[in-house]
Amino acid sequence: MNSDTSFKLVFVGFFISLLLTLGIYFLGVGHYWSGLTLMSVILVLAGVQAVFQMIYFLHVGIESKPYWNLITFLFMVLVVVVVIGGSIWIMYNLNYNMMM
Amino acid sequence: MTETHHDVYSKTIFGFLVYLLTDFMMFATLFATFGVLRHSTYGGPSARDLFHLPFTLTQTLILLVSSLTVGLGGAFAHRQQKNKTLILFGITFLLGIVFIGMEFSEYGQLIRQGASWKRSAFLSAYFTLLGTHAIHVFLGLLWMIVLIIPVFLSGLTEASVRRLSCLRMFWQFLNVVWIFIFAIVYVIGVSE
Repeated sequence: MNSDTSFKLVFVGFFISLLLTLGIYFLGVGHYWSGLTLMSVILVLAGVQAVFQMIYFLHVGIESKPYWNLITFLFMVLVVVVVIGGSIWIMYNLNYNMMM
Repeated sequence: MTETHHDVYSKTIFGFLVYLLTDFMMFATLFATFGVLRHSTYGGPSARDLFHLPFTLTQTLILLVSSLTVGLGGAFAHRQQKNKTLILFGITFLLGIVFIGMEFSEYGQLIRQGASWKRSAFLSAYFTLLGTHAIHVFLGLLWMIVLIIPVFLSGLTEASVRRLSCLRMFWQFLNVVWIFIFAIVYVIGVSE
């Protein structure tokens, strides 16, 4: 990748991240939604922003074959989903079942 | 067949990316802990009582701008433009100092209010997650000093461009982690 491409990538990534950050903030303070809806929307926006930063800042997924960066990144995502999803699921059920 | 410089560069970058991804996994375990314990306040203050969102938004924007400046600095290093590289890494360093200063002033405020890590499981999880991120930022700042001085003294070499690229990735990775801290710990915590 030449340096002109990386200048463009950095600026595009920055402006997308800025919009998403402000979006998260105003959804949080604006009381348009609440509870689970708000939480899901914010988590989706945060996830989208993280993916944009991985692509535009850390250049994951814009390499040529055989895509080792992308494959290791996707493996990390899988492990993270299992760790976080699994912990919260188990502990939620534990709390629920221990309540008398 | 001898290895070209390009091979050394791309292998180093790939190896460093793998390190960053394992670091993500470590942060994931801390996020899981926080997610489980975030309501366990033991009668103490909750996220809504403690956090002030405009302050955190300022911190977030400072870190985001530093992610931009470090990215530009990395790109200028590839172009062998020493002065612009130094200026942009210098700006990143100053923004990092402001960020970590705000971070510690917030911890100080929480502890003075009696909301230290000893108060509740929620606060223990909060300080563990945020403290780990702050230590990463602190080490990133030290690393920046160590890399910038040789560039200042003897210019951009093959090795220093490679090292600056790793530092750039490390700094931008810290920003990716912070997105989730901002969204989960602060915004969801306060609006819940």
